[in-house]
Amino acid sequence: MGMLPIDSLEVGMVLANDVLDRTGRMLLGAGAELSQKHLTIFRTWGVVEADIAGIDYVNDESPLPAEVDPAALATAEEELQPLFSYAGTDHPALRELLRLAAIRRVQHGLR
Amino acid sequence: MAFADQPVYTVAWLVDRTSTVYSLPLFYERLNEAINHPRTSIDDIAKIITEDQGLTARLLRLANSPLFGWFGKVDSINKAVTIIGTQQLRDLALAASVMGVFTGIPPELMSMTSFWRHSVACGIIARTLATWRREPNVERFFVAGILHDIGQLMMATTIPPVVMELMQQSRSTKLPYHLTEAERLGFDHADAGGALLQSWKIPANIAEPVEHHHHPSRAAQFPLEAATIHLSDLICQAMDYGQTGEWCLPPLDTAAWERLGMSSHQLGTIIKQAEPQLEETFSILTEGV
Repeated sequence: MGMLPIDSLEVGMVLANDVLDRTGRMLLGAGAELSQKHLTIFRTWGVVEADIAGIDYVNDESPLPAEVDPAALATAEEELQPLFSYAGTDHPALRELLRLAAIRRVQHGLR
Repeated sequence: MAFADQPVYTVAWLVDRTSTVYSLPLFYERLNEAINHPRTSIDDIAKIITEDQGLTARLLRLANSPLFGWFGKVDSINKAVTIIGTQQLRDLALAASVMGVFTGIPPELMSMTSFWRHSVACGIIARTLATWRREPNVERFFVAGILHDIGQLMMATTIPPVVMELMQQSRSTKLPYHLTEAERLGFDHADAGGALLQSWKIPANIAEPVEHHHHPSRAAQFPLEAATIHLSDLICQAMDYGQTGEWCLPPLDTAAWERLGMSSHQLGTIIKQAEPQLEETFSILTEGV
C-alpha cells in the first residue's frame, strides 16, 4: 500500500483504506476498485490522496505537467538549493515546496 | 563585540519612534469605533468609508475582484458592507490604509513593490488556506498576511543603516534574516511588527499572528492563525512572489504544520487556487502607493 496523490490515481486501482472527505465523511470503502466516476467524486469533495493496495513503494509525487522536462526540473531544483539551504528539504512539505517552486521556475522560464 | 558601541535598540523604542512619524489615518479609528458600537447601521459605516474616496474606490475594486467573485455587481459601499460584512470590510480597510503609511524607504535598501508583492501574496495564500479549512472570516488571515512583515518597514524607516548591515550579515553568514536580527538586536521584525499593531490597537487576531509568524507555536491565543501565516510566508518565499529582507526559506515549524492538518499534496492545489488572484489584488492595493 502507498499514499498516492489524486493526480496519480488511475481507474482500476484498489483502495487499501477508506477514502474520507475533509469532514471525515466516508466516500469509498477499502477494497473498492476505482472507476472514473469515483475519481470525479474525489475531486469534487477535495480529496487530495488515497491509500492504494498493491503498491510497495511510496511515490508521493504528482505526475509532472506535460510541458515540464524532467532534466530541466532537476536543474531548477539544483538552482533553488541556496533558497532552501537553511530550511532543508527533509520535511515532506518542504520537499513538495521545492518541487512546486522548480516546476514554476521551468514553466515561467525563470532560468 | 564589534557593535558594543552602538546604541541598544528595543522594541518599545522602535514603536515609539515609528508612532511619532507614522500613524494610522484617524478614519480607521472612527470606523472601528462605529463598527464596535451596537447601534451603528450599515449606512453609518458606509458614510464613514465613503469620506475617503481613494479607499472607497479601492474597496469597491477589491469587492469586485476574483477574490470575492461578484464580478462587477458590487457598485456601492452599502452593498459591499452587506455582502462582505462589517468586520471583514474594516479589516480590508485596515490593510489598504497601512499600505499607504510607510513611505520614504530608500529603494536600494528595500523595494516597496517587491515588499508588498510578497506581503499581498502571503495574504492571499493565507486566505486561501483559511478558506480551504472553512474558517469563519477569512479576511483577517488576508490582512495578517499583508501586515506580517510590517516590522521590517518600521526598522527600514527608523534604523536604515542597521537594517543594511543586518541584510549583508545575514547573506554572508547564511543565517536567515530574522535569526540575524534576533542575534544582533535581541528581537526580530516580527516582534517589532506585533508590538506596533498592538500599540495601534489592531485586534489581537491580527497582531498576534504577525508577532509570532516565525515561531507560531509561541502564539498563545491564535496559534492556528499564526501557523497559517507562517506557512504562507514560506510558500511565498519558495515560489518567489516578491521579496523582503529575507533571502532564504525560514525553517518550518513542524508543530504548526501538524496543526494545519494538511497533506503536502494539498500545497499545489492551494497555490493553484491563489495564483490567479495575485496580480489583480496586488495592483488594486498598491495603486497610488
